[in-house]
Amino acid sequence: MSIRLAGVAIFLVAALYAWTAQDYTASFGDVLGPSVFPVMVGIPAMALALSLVVFPGGTVSWPSGDRLLRQAMALAALVVYALLLERLGFPIATAALIAVVAIILDGPPGKSLLIGVAGSLSLWVLFDQLLGLPIDFLGSFFTG
Amino acid sequence: MEILSSLALGFSVALQPLHLALLLFGCFAGTLIGAMPGLGPVNGVAILIPLTFAFGFDATASLILLSAVYFGCMYGGRISSILLNIPGDEPAVMTTLDGYPMAQQGQAANALAISGVASFVGATVAIVGLTLFAPLLARAAIYFGPADYFALYVMAFATIGGLAGVDPRKTLLSALIGLMIATIGLDPATGIPRYTGGSFNLYDGIDPIVALVGLFAISELMFLLERAIKDRDAAIRLTTWIPEAKVILGTAWATVRGAVVGFVAGVLPGAGASLGAVMSYSIEKQVSNKNGTFGKGDPRGVAAPEAGNNSASAGALIPMLSLGVPGSGTTAVMLAMLISLNVQPGPLLFERQPDLVWGLVASLYMANVMLLILNLPLIGLFTRLMAIPTWSLMPLVVAISFIGVYSISNSTFDLYVMIAFGVLGYILRKLDITLVPLVLGLLLGADMENNLRRALSISGGDYGVLVASWISVALYLATVAFLALSIWLGLRDRKRGPAAE
Repeated sequence: MSIRLAGVAIFLVAALYAWTAQDYTASFGDVLGPSVFPVMVGIPAMALALSLVVFPGGTVSWPSGDRLLRQAMALAALVVYALLLERLGFPIATAALIAVVAIILDGPPGKSLLIGVAGSLSLWVLFDQLLGLPIDFLGSFFTG
Repeated sequence: MEILSSLALGFSVALQPLHLALLLFGCFAGTLIGAMPGLGPVNGVAILIPLTFAFGFDATASLILLSAVYFGCMYGGRISSILLNIPGDEPAVMTTLDGYPMAQQGQAANALAISGVASFVGATVAIVGLTLFAPLLARAAIYFGPADYFALYVMAFATIGGLAGVDPRKTLLSALIGLMIATIGLDPATGIPRYTGGSFNLYDGIDPIVALVGLFAISELMFLLERAIKDRDAAIRLTTWIPEAKVILGTAWATVRGAVVGFVAGVLPGAGASLGAVMSYSIEKQVSNKNGTFGKGDPRGVAAPEAGNNSASAGALIPMLSLGVPGSGTTAVMLAMLISLNVQPGPLLFERQPDLVWGLVASLYMANVMLLILNLPLIGLFTRLMAIPTWSLMPLVVAISFIGVYSISNSTFDLYVMIAFGVLGYILRKLDITLVPLVLGLLLGADMENNLRRALSISGGDYGVLVASWISVALYLATVAFLALSIWLGLRDRKRGPAAE
């Protein structure tokens, strides 16, 4: 079933892709133009996706409830990190990221926090102090 | 003689202090990355690429570092295969079959030594092959015109998924998805924005490096969260570190056979180290398994796949350097790095940047010796580091991936792109769609379109030019033959039932 659904999804994306390509026109440039290559890619992709819908190959077992929840939590942590990195500044955000991911991976909370703080500080020293990459210690949330 | 002077140039590059230091670090880090279950050559190399940019290394230094890591992984993967019965990375799967039984019988020291020596022999055979054959292939490739390159790319996409056990439709679909992603951004010939949705962030297209780190590192985290983490057997303790020379000598022929088979598998497009190990093991089993000892701790069953995966990984560098078409997942990732540094591999690379090519080759000879030293006398160090629990290691890997990607352009937009590719990679891998063709499509898409453009503007729009030379016709015929063979193998396996793998 999953394979069929994926086939449908890929078919729709490829169809939209090939359809959109027809709008790309240029009166100058070369013989090929900007739309031919996307159409050449999109049409076989549609055909292959359709064949997966009709003759699906293989089976997929998705993770069960609690595992799925852990994955969702980890993803949420990654997105929140990207959102808050520039606001909190590198060391605080990274310490939180490392600690949270470690706890989601069944690490003991105390030690996870310790690794988070130690890991993020050493990475900050490495990247900011030694390599000179511009990474702020405190983010816009603190400095203004 | 020409090769000797080229090698002399290579060693003068490889012996520069920075390159030596990177080589040593790469060998050490690679062995460790290979030994850690969950981290393999592809994601190890992918995570390191943004870091090499951050350090400001040039192409030669970066390539030396990444190749050392790549080679180190091939050595390191065997350690956890033998001691934990968990392959440290994918190519080391075959080593568990006889390596773990040997360790259970108190032969762990022998198994580690045999596999270390076999790795060394395998890699050496392949590096000698690389030295001899890569320049020849590059010289032949000079005759390729734009239409021939287009045909070569078509063949690379069709064949990179490998032969056995893969649905060829999924492989092709993966490549096409990669090509679709590659067209996002401003069209290089006409300057028209394609598939950007009006977002200026996408005008430069998707940075392949950002996509790669997401596809491999973030999706690996998702897989790790899916598996049970705690049910891992304790590592087998070693009673002695001293191997017996007699047992090692007994595997000499198995090692040589494994090395040759692996090298051939590596040079072929799409096979890579995993298939090299599988082929070496199955051929060795057919040749030597007279008393049914394979699978129960036969030393030759350890030597052959280890020689095979090391020589395949070095062999896979040949098509990557001389044609610009990688032979495996990890070399595809290394190609991404070279393209990002404005180095276009291919036949002209050998003429224009001999210091890069030969510096790399010379470094590989030295890396191999360093790795043998790291992996025989110093093996105890790695078995101790392997005890680091996953929950403390993986978060650090994730943090390093984020810093690396952020440091490329100092924008959080790239972080979202990376996370999105992580989810995409996870879903595709769950659907049994391999990611390597997608990466290849993403990398070569622009060049493929350019070659098509060039061919058509030479012919004035006549599509007949695509099959006008015998090179392109031969490449298309080879592609069709390959696809037919893999469809036939797939149908045959289905008739035999799902038990046959």
